[in-house]
Amino acid sequence: MALYIVEADCISCGDCEPVCPTNSITEGSIVFKIDKKTCTECEGDFDVPQCVKVCPIDNCILPLEA
Amino acid sequence: MSSQDTLSRELALRIGLAARALPDTDAKRLFTVLTHCLGLPITEDKIGSLNLKTLKAAQAGEFSDIDDVSLKKALHILKHNVETGETLKPDIQAYVEGDMPGSVRIACASNDAINVDGHFGSCNQFMIYQVSADEARLIDIRFTDSPDGLEVDDKNLFRAELIQDCQVIYMASVGGPAAAKIVKLGIHPIKLQGIESITGIINQLQTVIAGTPPPWLAKVMGIEANNRFRFEREATG
Repeated sequence: MALYIVEADCISCGDCEPVCPTNSITEGSIVFKIDKKTCTECEGDFDVPQCVKVCPIDNCILPLEA
Repeated sequence: MSSQDTLSRELALRIGLAARALPDTDAKRLFTVLTHCLGLPITEDKIGSLNLKTLKAAQAGEFSDIDDVSLKKALHILKHNVETGETLKPDIQAYVEGDMPGSVRIACASNDAINVDGHFGSCNQFMIYQVSADEARLIDIRFTDSPDGLEVDDKNLFRAELIQDCQVIYMASVGGPAAAKIVKLGIHPIKLQGIESITGIINQLQTVIAGTPPPWLAKVMGIEANNRFRFEREATG
């Protein structure tokens, strides 16, 4: 389980990067990206994924698999 | 500054427009000079008594090197009522949907019609431009006064709806809840670090459009992902 950032919608504001408890978010060459190997969707740390909570764009950060 | 509280909106507008008639003069400079020769508060009556000689001598001759023609023009603007629609609208250029492929429509929150100097919730007008890589047209000026006799429940929503057809709005400042309303309408809000000229903003935007626009911008401009660039699938690596 992991989340991903929809490239066409990300505005590169960077708000998600510091709130990630597993440091899975980094700035990629185009927009920010989430490392699917380390993303836990915040399970064990928070009730809701923190990046989704702070992201100013709707439906920009989604679960990788439905 | 308490002096600005007592300056009527009409006079403020006249000072702004009059400053434009003078070389290298912004509203602030003219306002300072007027304060010097008329004292505060600046009123309609005091401005009525102003003449060329006083204006030229004011503040130790701040305007002494400006030619008489420009000064007379500025005086005329200061003393006469602004017919809003008439003074500001001649600049508007015709635009028909589809005229400018690969363009984006932007709104600039402005008080003086030259700079992005407005707060979203309090600016006098939104200057609407259609901008492509090699062209920019002022296509509309939308004043933020609510229509006569109409009570507006939510000022910020009213303002956001005023620019609903724009993809981006530039402003000097905006509050959080207002920004959320802007985003809800699908408009991308951009708050500047300070006041910048509208032409400066347009130039910057044109450089971005001509280069590789960020995906979100390309998307609102209607450019297909495949035409933009071939991105490496390293995003989720």
